[in-house]
Amino acid sequence: MSEPMTSPEPTASRPDSTKTGPGRLLVAVYGLFALSASARAGVQIATKFSHAPVAYLLSAFAGLVYILAAVTLSIGSPTARRIAVLSCSVELVGVLAVGTWSLADPASFPDATVWSSYGSGYGFVPLVLPVFGLLWLRRWARRNRTGGTTVTSAEDAGEAAAGGVARGEGGAPGRGAKDVVADGR
Amino acid sequence: MSSVNGAVPTTIIVAGLALAGYALLMTALNRRMNVPLLAAVGVLEILLLVEVGIIVAKLADGARPAQLPTLIGYLIATPLVPVAAAFWGLMERSRWGPAVIAVAGLVAAVLMVRLHQIWPVIHV
Repeated sequence: MSEPMTSPEPTASRPDSTKTGPGRLLVAVYGLFALSASARAGVQIATKFSHAPVAYLLSAFAGLVYILAAVTLSIGSPTARRIAVLSCSVELVGVLAVGTWSLADPASFPDATVWSSYGSGYGFVPLVLPVFGLLWLRRWARRNRTGGTTVTSAEDAGEAAAGGVARGEGGAPGRGAKDVVADGR
Repeated sequence: MSSVNGAVPTTIIVAGLALAGYALLMTALNRRMNVPLLAAVGVLEILLLVEVGIIVAKLADGARPAQLPTLIGYLIATPLVPVAAAFWGLMERSRWGPAVIAVAGLVAAVLMVRLHQIWPVIHV
């Protein structure tokens, strides 16, 4: 699984931050949901809050969580990644809890939230998204662990090695190509 | 109330889904962003602008949907989708650039359905 030939284009599978590679897609979808969920909640709270206060407040909360995830995933520092893990986890718990709640007690939800019925109104993307987000973040933590040399605090050391040379997009030189290959990317 | 011609939204849905399919194929084949894909995004953008123009003309005629603020929000956000996706996708030098474009194609199709829900005179 770790043979280099799995990637025909060298740059194709060498994401150097949480916002590149598959992270590019994640940030895009998170950004989309951040915008749509919070804009929708904003309009609903401003125009007809009393109609379904629980649903609208939950939508606003979901919007905030999406904003947080989109921003932290695109920053990608160790601290940002920790916050991203937290917001993805809150999101997963939220979609499961609200999904169950909306099915068990439909009376509380005269109007739908992003997370109603496990996000069925949004093609179940709200259910799938945090799972992919957490998998991506875990892959990152693991890559930094195996990528570093003798690492005690895996994430910080991995990030420091990359960040010592250059931040963000140009951070790749800090992480040797052999590390990337050894990790199967 | 006369209805808006459904040809443009229908074309957008077909074009958006086709673009998404093509872009996902590129992702599967490990291709990066290229000029044909960008040109396709440009075509989608033009179609969306035409649709926005049709709806604005409808509003200028004095017709109003039940939720005017929502419709205006959609009219602003809709043409930004391909532009934002193109920028974000071009920054990516891997197969995941086209994947971003695929999302934009799907979103364009979904937006047409949502526009119809917000204002049923917009036929799909």
